[in-house]
Amino acid sequence: MRENKTFQTTQVGSWPRSKELLKMLRGYQKGTVSRADFTAVAENEIRRTVALQEQAGLDIVVDGEHRRESFYAFITEKVAGTKLMSLADMLDFVENKAEFEEMLRTMDMPASAVKNPTCIGKLSRREPLALGDLHFLRTITAKPVKITLPGPYLLTRSMWVGALTRKAYRNHQKMADDIVRILRDELLDLRDAGCDFVQFDEPVLTEVVMSEDCERRTFM
Amino acid sequence: MDGIRIGVHICRGNWSKQEEVLLKGDYARLLPALEPMKIDQFVLEYATPRAGDIDVVGKRLSDRELGLGVVNPRTDEVESVETIVAKAEKALEYYRPEQLFLNTDCGFGCFSSRSVNVEEVAYKKLCAIVEAAKCLRKRYC
Repeated sequence: MRENKTFQTTQVGSWPRSKELLKMLRGYQKGTVSRADFTAVAENEIRRTVALQEQAGLDIVVDGEHRRESFYAFITEKVAGTKLMSLADMLDFVENKAEFEEMLRTMDMPASAVKNPTCIGKLSRREPLALGDLHFLRTITAKPVKITLPGPYLLTRSMWVGALTRKAYRNHQKMADDIVRILRDELLDLRDAGCDFVQFDEPVLTEVVMSEDCERRTFM
Repeated sequence: MDGIRIGVHICRGNWSKQEEVLLKGDYARLLPALEPMKIDQFVLEYATPRAGDIDVVGKRLSDRELGLGVVNPRTDEVESVETIVAKAEKALEYYRPEQLFLNTDCGFGCFSSRSVNVEEVAYKKLCAIVEAAKCLRKRYC
């Protein structure tokens, strides 16, 4: 682990999606494209992305997150008790609709492009979150790999939509206990499978301390 | 946790190419939350001036590794190798070359339908990072 390498180069995670991939992802989400067909296209994109990183000379490679709706919303595919909702869908459930719309506008955040992994029931891993990503990466590269996962704080903040979540959890803390358990189990699975590096993404930490209104919720 | 490198990545949002709508501020107010984390590496946005000065984390978090953000994923212009090297050299005041990783500030397409860049530019930015690392190894290793 503490090898003598210096100035190791890597990237944070996601790669621009191709038009073909996006079309397949939307089809898969609507149920008109099978998981196998979507996966085949995503794997081709991952192969290309990894080849580009190797060609550039990065020391540690990532898969580009081509299978993911976003770096955190993808968990709705893997975790029971969740529902993928666009911010537009969520307008019906936020406390102050006008304020929420205004926030999206001023932040240049398109309500249709950002999707949220809303908690609507008891959370549990239906399948591993990223173990499959690791196994696939191992088949296409000999380089060390980094797996990205959404952090517990990001998930707790975004998944809680009171009107929908309170049916399953009394408060944020109760829901967070299950989120942490899910992430920890995944981390152990990844470690046992020989993963080099896991990165938890916590972009909303800055929102809490840097947005003028700490209660502002971007669901980012 | 033994047997795996655990990192935490923090940035100021990556949903828009309009820099002015993204958050601004250094990591100082987060330090009380970051310091006790039992992790190996902080992967931090630092290519944008909105992230503040490296001293803020260098003085307090250099007992762990730093994944230093050296390119902005949202801009079309590719950062020069010299700019990246200079950024890393500033971090070398606090970190050893083994502790210092060079990376992008964030992903190039965190939201599938809203990639913040195109592949051609993203690839060139990766090449610039690799070139800078070569330069730094020559100078410091």
